[in-house]
Amino acid sequence: MTHLPLWFIPLFPLIGTILLGTIAVVSSGAKKGPSEGLVGTLAVLFPALSFAVVAILACSMPEAGFRETLCNWIDIPLFRADIGFLFDGLSRIMLLFVTGIGSLIAMYSIGYMHGDRGFARFFAYINLFLFSMVVLVLADSLLLTFLGWEGVGLCSYLLIGFWNQDIKNCKAANKAFIVNRVGDIGFLLGMLTLVTIGGSSLLNYDGLAAFINMVIGAGEVVELVLPLSLAGLLFFIGCTGKSAQIPLLTWLPDAMAGPTPVSALIHAATMVTSGVYLLARLSMMFCLLEHVLLIIVFVGMFTALWAAIAGLLQNDIKKVLAYSTISQLGYMFMAAGVCAFDASIFHVFTHAFFKAALFLGAGAVIHSLAGEQDMRRMGGLINKTPVTACVMIFAFLAIVGFPGFAGFWSKDLILERIFVSGPILGPIVYVVGLATAVITAVYMGRLIIMTFFGKYRGDKETEEHIHEAPAVMLFPMVILAFGAIFSGYLWADSIGLTFFRDSMASVVGQAQAIYLAANPAAHVNPVIFAALGTLAALGGMYIAWKVFSRARIIGVKGASTVPEGSAASWTFLWDYIHCAFIAVVNILAWFCDVVVEKVLQAIQWTIAAIVEILGDGASILQVRKVRLQLSFSVAGVALLVMLVIFSGGLV
Amino acid sequence: MELQPLYIQILALVIFAIGIIVAVARRNLFFVLMGVELALNAVNLSFVGFAKTLPAEASVTGQIVPLFSIAVAAAEACVGFAMVIMIFRNKESVDADSYSDMKG
Amino acid sequence: MLALVYFIILAVIAVGAALCVLLSRHPLYGALSLVVSMVSLAGIYGLVGSPFLGVVQIMVYAGAIMMLVTFVIMVLNGAKDKRTPMFDGVSFFIIPAVLVLAAMVGFALLRSTMTFDSATVAGSVKVTSETLFNMASTGPGYFLLFEVIGVLLLSAMVAAIFLAKRHLGSVISENTEDKH
Repeated sequence: MTHLPLWFIPLFPLIGTILLGTIAVVSSGAKKGPSEGLVGTLAVLFPALSFAVVAILACSMPEAGFRETLCNWIDIPLFRADIGFLFDGLSRIMLLFVTGIGSLIAMYSIGYMHGDRGFARFFAYINLFLFSMVVLVLADSLLLTFLGWEGVGLCSYLLIGFWNQDIKNCKAANKAFIVNRVGDIGFLLGMLTLVTIGGSSLLNYDGLAAFINMVIGAGEVVELVLPLSLAGLLFFIGCTGKSAQIPLLTWLPDAMAGPTPVSALIHAATMVTSGVYLLARLSMMFCLLEHVLLIIVFVGMFTALWAAIAGLLQNDIKKVLAYSTISQLGYMFMAAGVCAFDASIFHVFTHAFFKAALFLGAGAVIHSLAGEQDMRRMGGLINKTPVTACVMIFAFLAIVGFPGFAGFWSKDLILERIFVSGPILGPIVYVVGLATAVITAVYMGRLIIMTFFGKYRGDKETEEHIHEAPAVMLFPMVILAFGAIFSGYLWADSIGLTFFRDSMASVVGQAQAIYLAANPAAHVNPVIFAALGTLAALGGMYIAWKVFSRARIIGVKGASTVPEGSAASWTFLWDYIHCAFIAVVNILAWFCDVVVEKVLQAIQWTIAAIVEILGDGASILQVRKVRLQLSFSVAGVALLVMLVIFSGGLV
Repeated sequence: MELQPLYIQILALVIFAIGIIVAVARRNLFFVLMGVELALNAVNLSFVGFAKTLPAEASVTGQIVPLFSIAVAAAEACVGFAMVIMIFRNKESVDADSYSDMKG
Repeated sequence: MLALVYFIILAVIAVGAALCVLLSRHPLYGALSLVVSMVSLAGIYGLVGSPFLGVVQIMVYAGAIMMLVTFVIMVLNGAKDKRTPMFDGVSFFIIPAVLVLAAMVGFALLRSTMTFDSATVAGSVKVTSETLFNMASTGPGYFLLFEVIGVLLLSAMVAAIFLAKRHLGSVISENTEDKH
């Protein structure tokens, strides 16, 4: 073996989990928590080691990637699964930013979680999350991916409800977990469908690609489109759950109940993008399924637009970012829906940087305001926390697509790909996407203006305590801000940089070529798109400046730091739709409870009554005397023998 | 007229029938146990009688099984009489019908 | 011919003794009749060529088991059981049932054909023990069974002691009760 073993990558976070978990459990009874220095060092060390391994592997990776089978997992007739890892262009990108941003955010958390009683527990969860995420990304089969998929879901649940003294946090955690379960059922059923179509070898990504190639080669695509569409749709349901798309998006805004680093790491940068990752992984399958792709485009489009509008109405700084995450995920799905998987993953990559930076900045703001999350009580912070403000403004420029920043390259790429994807559909979706970009610029501008400009609207008392975050928090933020500025240059089409596309080509290139062969793209000048995108960003920023810098924002009174608004207002409309679904299910359940169960019980009672009557009848024959019973049995034997003899049994 | 194996079987059958009748019909516990012994003896006799109709090696088998059966009967008698002693202590009676405490 | 005469004599004695067991009122008489029946059965074993089995029958049944029976009868003084009738309604039900059963089996027996095999082996000590213990020729089955029987007898002994003892470890308390 010439390269490092792949299982080193998940190994380090796993060791970290075990060590930190042990520390957390051991110290749980103690009056004082464990040493924060020790825990923090361990918590950053293991993800960083993992990142180092990824970096070394990434540099030495050949074009085809590394494949490694660790051991056999399940081996029964009709089903065989191995624990194997696959390190190629796609997992390289994902792993680089998962472990890299994970390490940075772990570092940031040392400052953010300072003094929290569950310090060690928090980092144990974070390491467990990284382990699961690495397994999800690195797995070479759907089954192992599903293991990581469930693992990150579990960690998301644990971390949203991290401050479990508050029932609201627990409810938010439950909601995230349960809504994700709905999606996971889709994933599971999708795997079952694939196994039904072509056996367990289809669960392996290489096996699936080989199968699709074989199908294309044999010209049997038409026969298989229907079952594959079913599988694709089911996988897409799984993706909507994990990536908070319509209709399963209500959990992500509520998930902001968790600590802010968690929101940054799990609910913005890494976990929620695993749906996009899965689509890219299964690109060979999806490129054949035009109807499913159409659904994906529309779901992504509506999610992006709707979340952007919802983001306009939020007052909680984290909620705004949550909606913007959903909106950006909508972009990624739109791109995946036109089979532009490389652009989609590129947006995942750049988004991870600027959204993590935004969240960390928001966390730093919340930290400096001693837990205040309501933007109506912020303002004018640029003078007091200049570094945080700069980081957030850079990230803001990136997310709105200001020329030169990361979001500009990736978002415009997506919009361009969408436009050229079809003669009618493409322009429609493009217009909606562009409108979304304008709205994005408006609500992000609102966030920046309300937080950093104008006058401080909070209490005098808190104003005196406003302080810049400690260096351990600022350092990761600054790095991420650099990422937000420069990560776009990995693939800057206009100036001829295509490193990212070349890197992804080995994974999704074939699928995209198949799609392009079926849907030839019109050739257009990319400069027009860049200009339009820039115009959208500038227009949105201008609107935001006009509206929100003049508008007299009413500072809320009262001491409550809990954000205003009920769950319904946070999630706009979809909670009601979910409630309607739940009501229908409740009615069904009531029907089952009252009617079906009663009928079943009646049947059950009838049978029981018959048996009882028979038993009573038989018990009349039972007598007290043992001897009499013996006599009966002897007589019975006599009868049996008689029967046998006279029926000719012993001829 | 020679001795036929059938005669042995008929004898075994008669003794077995008497044994069962003694075991079930008599109310005294001692007779119950003696009846069981009698029935066991009849079965042993039947074994030996059948063994004699078989060729060499197989016939030895037919004579070894009664050996085990006798040993089991000894164990049975041992435990059985111990139980009689115990029950007699509680009931002060050897009437089998007085041992009907189980509901039925 | 002579064998048949001996057989008839022994059979008559055995059946007669068995009937005595059935009809005797006192258990001690029943036990003594049973001894007679068993000894005559032992004689039949010897007659048909299983002398070893006959000897075992006399030793174990007529010797050990019947000794146990008489001993227990005397210890418990079962003779005072004068109140209970020998037979009752159940008895008159069981007799026809058993007779029918016996008739059926006899019917089946009569319809079968059996003859003595001339090559049969007399069950002497040598033959029996070789079959039992020579594992080379017959495999370990019988020997294993023999060992199991040993364990069975041991456990029966333990069980008997356990049952017959009034209460485990209660000898002292009973003595004190007697003193009162």
